[in-house]
Amino acid sequence: MLWVSVHLPHLAMELRQPEQPGALVVTDGSGARRRVVACNATALGAGIAIGMDAPSAMMREPELRMLDRSKANERRATLALASWAHQFTSDVCLDVTRWMVWLEIGSSLRYFNSLTALYKQISDGIERLGYTTSIGIAPTIEAAALLTKHPDVLPILNKSEIRGAVGLLPITGLEIGAKAIDQLHTTGLRTIEELLDVPSDALARRFGEGLPHYLQRLLGEQADVRRRHRAPAIYRRRFDFMEGVESVDGLLFPLRRVLQEFAGYLRGRDVAVQHLAVTLLHREGAETVLRLATSAPQRSASHLFALLREKLERTAIPDPVMAIQLSAGEFVEPRITQGDFFDDPHRENDNWSALLDKLRARLGAEAIRRLGLSDDHRPEKAWCVLSDEKGAAISADLPDRPLWFLSEPQQLNDLPQLLGTPERIEAGWWTGQDSSRDYYLARTDEGAHWWLFRDAGTNRWYLQGLWA
Amino acid sequence: MTAESLQALLHSSPHVWRGGEIARVDARSSGYAALDVRLPGGGWPIGALVEIAPKTDGCGELRLTVPALKSWCQDGRSVAFVRPPHVPYAPALARCGMALSSLLWVAADSDEDGRWAAEQLLRDGAAAVLLWSAAREDRALRRLQLAAETGKACAFLYRPPSALNHSSPAAVRIALSAASDGAGMTLDLVKVRGGQPGKLVLPLNRPAT
Repeated sequence: MLWVSVHLPHLAMELRQPEQPGALVVTDGSGARRRVVACNATALGAGIAIGMDAPSAMMREPELRMLDRSKANERRATLALASWAHQFTSDVCLDVTRWMVWLEIGSSLRYFNSLTALYKQISDGIERLGYTTSIGIAPTIEAAALLTKHPDVLPILNKSEIRGAVGLLPITGLEIGAKAIDQLHTTGLRTIEELLDVPSDALARRFGEGLPHYLQRLLGEQADVRRRHRAPAIYRRRFDFMEGVESVDGLLFPLRRVLQEFAGYLRGRDVAVQHLAVTLLHREGAETVLRLATSAPQRSASHLFALLREKLERTAIPDPVMAIQLSAGEFVEPRITQGDFFDDPHRENDNWSALLDKLRARLGAEAIRRLGLSDDHRPEKAWCVLSDEKGAAISADLPDRPLWFLSEPQQLNDLPQLLGTPERIEAGWWTGQDSSRDYYLARTDEGAHWWLFRDAGTNRWYLQGLWA
Repeated sequence: MTAESLQALLHSSPHVWRGGEIARVDARSSGYAALDVRLPGGGWPIGALVEIAPKTDGCGELRLTVPALKSWCQDGRSVAFVRPPHVPYAPALARCGMALSSLLWVAADSDEDGRWAAEQLLRDGAAAVLLWSAAREDRALRRLQLAAETGKACAFLYRPPSALNHSSPAAVRIALSAASDGAGMTLDLVKVRGGQPGKLVLPLNRPAT
């Protein structure tokens, strides 16, 4: 086994709008127990650190803005990262309170060229999601987690090397609780090596069974049984805002992140989508739903983003948006693209369907039409708008008809010059109106050719088409 | 060295600049020989804007472009009708030999949406776009011209006759009316960049009576 541990050390801050000016911290708890869990660069510069209590932080920076953390949002973000991680391995687990996701890559390593290449793919991918990350690689879950706090330590590839590699690291990086670390410090213990030298039963008597068990899992002497994360069958990702967002621009950043995560999920399941919905949630249960249907299976985040952005920009947002939610429940096989470099017609087709999607997103699906023929002698029934991409066969035996057609015939008071003999077309008893029409070709004073008919029942004249 | 061998040498080398041919325009035959000889490159210019101003609906405005549209469809390319004033009638188009599967009809609500859609189609893959627009602004026309250039497509812009009184960046501008004998259409080539302006009458198949 080889675990890649992905830690998002600034998650709480990165889920807020981190580009706000001034010192900003995210805190947990209230009153005297309010503590800093994340700070931006300005706050760090003022001497504020993670773990500090609120009054001490305020003392260092009187202008400090403090925001409550949203555990629900942090949880959703960590879960979404786990779904995203399935594109690299099927073996994923996570800890939402530690903002950490683990990927077992020992079995999938051979699919990637090297550990370095895989590491780069993972870290670049997370950067594109908009997170700062630190990554640790080791044969056990806890050793990998420990290495995320020490980015200068090289990956550990064998279980037998763990002890030697982590021995000189300080005990502060261990997941044993701040209280235990303080107590160990007072007894003079500083490094992990020193702690590992203490007999297990002595540690158990002082700190409980948990601590020696944790150390055994760290070294791989005891199995680390975790619940594996499974990619959900229906994808739903919600993102909550701290304050209501009123502009489309404010929605784009989280939308882009959410779609990047979604693309990772699609790759992990090796599926694509043709339908998805983005819901804008307002106060008091009100919502605005944007539905997207693409003409071809899609799994490119940038393509989906471009379509949704176009849609968003044309949507009236009635009230501030408190959260956005992406949902998709229908997945299809991705289109198989072969030979990216040589298969030009294929690529053109992809571009063409992407273009049609773009037109539909702005003009509405019903505005983009294909024409077809129907086997019916009545002029208004002889054509149709095709809903899908199906082509229509050209019938060999079509009567001469005008290129422009008026779906609603226009009644005429003055008749132009009629030419030739009429063509009688029976409306047929099945229309409910048992009437027939006499169609004429006519020429106007301006020289245009019209297609007219006289309704045999009412004796009225109508313009039906133009020889354009 | 003989004149022939010199000529052959000049033609075989892509590096030799031949003054007489720099104005060569990529074009697609209009299907009307009398018109092709008037147009630069012998047909509708590719990557350019062509304006057609019919005096009235039903005077041959589609039959003027249909032969070229048909040839694009036969090549498997797409052509689009954007904001046409009436329903493009499928049975008539099919009778002309147009492959309906290569034809796209974009029913945009506003003139602006229509121009936007035409631009996207010209840029990204349509061989030709027929756009009906009343826009007068020079900027709108230049955008279409640029999109046609970028996508190496042919932009046919159908405009009201009064639009011809204003200047335009179009490569070809045509005032169209029915011929007085009723058996053809009269084209007034108001502007033909690199070709011959002037009037000509094209025969039209009169509808069967």
